[in-house]
Amino acid sequence: MKRRLFGLIFLLGIFFGCKEKPAPTPAASAGPGPSGSGAPTADKPKPGKELNLFAWSEYVPQEVIDGFSKETGIKVNYETYASNEEMLSKLLAGGTNYDLIQPSEYVIEALVKQKKLAPIDWSLVPNFKNIDPKLKGLAHDPENKYSVPWMTGTVGIVVNTDKIKDPIKGYKDVFQKKYKGRIVSLNDSREMVAWALEASGLKSNDITPENLAKVKPMLAEWVKLVKVFDSDSPKTAFLNGDVDIGVVWSGEAALLYQNNKKFSYILPEEGAHLFIDSLAIPDSAPNKVGAMMFMDYILRPEVSKLVSEKFPYTNPNLEARKLLTPDQLANPASYPPAGERETFRDIGKIASEVDKLVTDLKASN
Amino acid sequence: MTPTAGLPDTRGAERAPGLRGWLLMAPLLAWLGAFVIAPTLIMLVYSFCDRDELGQVVFTFSWSNYTRVFDPTYLKILLKSVYYAAITTAICLVVGYPVAYWVGRAPERVRNKLLALIMIPFWTSFLIRTYAWMTILKSEGPLNSLLLYLGMISTPLDILYTPTAVVIGLVYSYLPFMILPIYGSVEKLDNALVEAAFDLGAGPVRAFASVIAPLTRPGIVAGVMLVFIPAIGMFAITDLMGGARVPMIGNVIQNQFGQARDWPFGAALGMTVLLLFAATFWLTTKKDPSAT
Repeated sequence: MKRRLFGLIFLLGIFFGCKEKPAPTPAASAGPGPSGSGAPTADKPKPGKELNLFAWSEYVPQEVIDGFSKETGIKVNYETYASNEEMLSKLLAGGTNYDLIQPSEYVIEALVKQKKLAPIDWSLVPNFKNIDPKLKGLAHDPENKYSVPWMTGTVGIVVNTDKIKDPIKGYKDVFQKKYKGRIVSLNDSREMVAWALEASGLKSNDITPENLAKVKPMLAEWVKLVKVFDSDSPKTAFLNGDVDIGVVWSGEAALLYQNNKKFSYILPEEGAHLFIDSLAIPDSAPNKVGAMMFMDYILRPEVSKLVSEKFPYTNPNLEARKLLTPDQLANPASYPPAGERETFRDIGKIASEVDKLVTDLKASN
Repeated sequence: MTPTAGLPDTRGAERAPGLRGWLLMAPLLAWLGAFVIAPTLIMLVYSFCDRDELGQVVFTFSWSNYTRVFDPTYLKILLKSVYYAAITTAICLVVGYPVAYWVGRAPERVRNKLLALIMIPFWTSFLIRTYAWMTILKSEGPLNSLLLYLGMISTPLDILYTPTAVVIGLVYSYLPFMILPIYGSVEKLDNALVEAAFDLGAGPVRAFASVIAPLTRPGIVAGVMLVFIPAIGMFAITDLMGGARVPMIGNVIQNQFGQARDWPFGAALGMTVLLLFAATFWLTTKKDPSAT
């Protein structure tokens, strides 16, 4: 939730960033140095001293970062964001040289199209074999060249069953007048539009000007009912007793369920979608080797397990899943029943219309 | 500002600066150039540009961002921001003036300690203090527990994530900016003049209205400016304490540079607000000499 502060730092960074551009590590670009005398390590490209990690807030445990730094001596600068769009905005502004970003599938697709990602050298990331084969070769990265799945999850409904006794099945049950001022929602334009589309019987990727016009009145109503928009840590509003119902990330729901079983998680009946957040390396990254070392590090089962314990989304690492307790695996928000779920696709130019629609609706609230 | 009575302004404000003056001013001018003028010019250029699908700025020329600024949606937000900032400023003035006066009139030894007390909160990060307020105000927080325990309310007050919470947060953050300039004026206030007012038969109200208030006017004006202008543009408090639901113009602008990825539109909004401030400032300072 430090994003506001980072917003300020970022503005300063625009000025200082251009002056302080770290020199690209020679090893990363020029390959193995000539000094090696035949020892096996000499053939390996050397990583830079620092790694700029730009990732979602509430997603990367500090102990994982510390563990990586301790083992490799690479200092990790962890900066957070609360939406894919915010990340894109800062990444493309070019103020900071991020080495590792954590976009969702549709953003990877867009970045690949625009040739903004660096291909991964899999010889440096052997632990990729631990990833669930079902998550390989998907539409956003069909040849597995650019991304390593971090966590996957769903977006669904959390209900405080102590306070709300009515059966809740879908989005339309959440956004009801009687719950006005008791609802938390993710602060994410693409997500909100997807919910409205699904609630109107459309597909989450069917984003056309006509469909946006169609769901606009519904969204306008919804926005008025919401008490808090929070993508960083929507669980806080539940725990503080400020809301009783809401649409949140599955990992947040799983943490609430762990805290108290009264918080139940429901996949919306109108249609739920799957998100796949992955690590990827921007084209402009100065420390690509370090980034790949980090990827390999988090793919180790015991490290991935730490992430799962702290942020219980669906772990794509099958070896790590074997290390989880039956309780953790039984959490309905982390491991919901299998089913066919859509993932977001890159929608191109109309993304700006989505941004504009939701911004204006919230502004006129 | 006009010179206060009894303190004739004799410093050479009229003289043009010599070479040494320019040299002494050089760091300031460089700073202004790099951090005020250059960014403003960049914003001005951006405000006429367009964005591509990923949100990168495309250099074309169009007025469309400015036409969007004058959409009723955004005008309404601007008015709302002015409204919340005005409430904040009024509360800060009413609460801050007595404090500043009292501190300014306290014996010197005590005065510095009191000033330190006002400054101490600044030693903690602004965000941490905002989160502390969220903890205090939440439904199951200490404030509601106390009031429930005392039997003053029967159901928890709904404060957090409302405009009230936003105003509380704004007042809390900006109060010192009101107190300090007023304190500066009060400290310089000539006690003889106040005593003279009483000797001539003025009651406390009259003495305050005719003598103390006009003499501390520079501090009041500075305090109002220091609170009102940043309060309009504040976005962190509205996001955190208002649940990102009570938008002020600062939130809308910040959002354009973040989630909405529309830098040109954000720049156009920023330029418009900047022009409004400049115009208000120009009008108030122009009127100043004739008023006194």
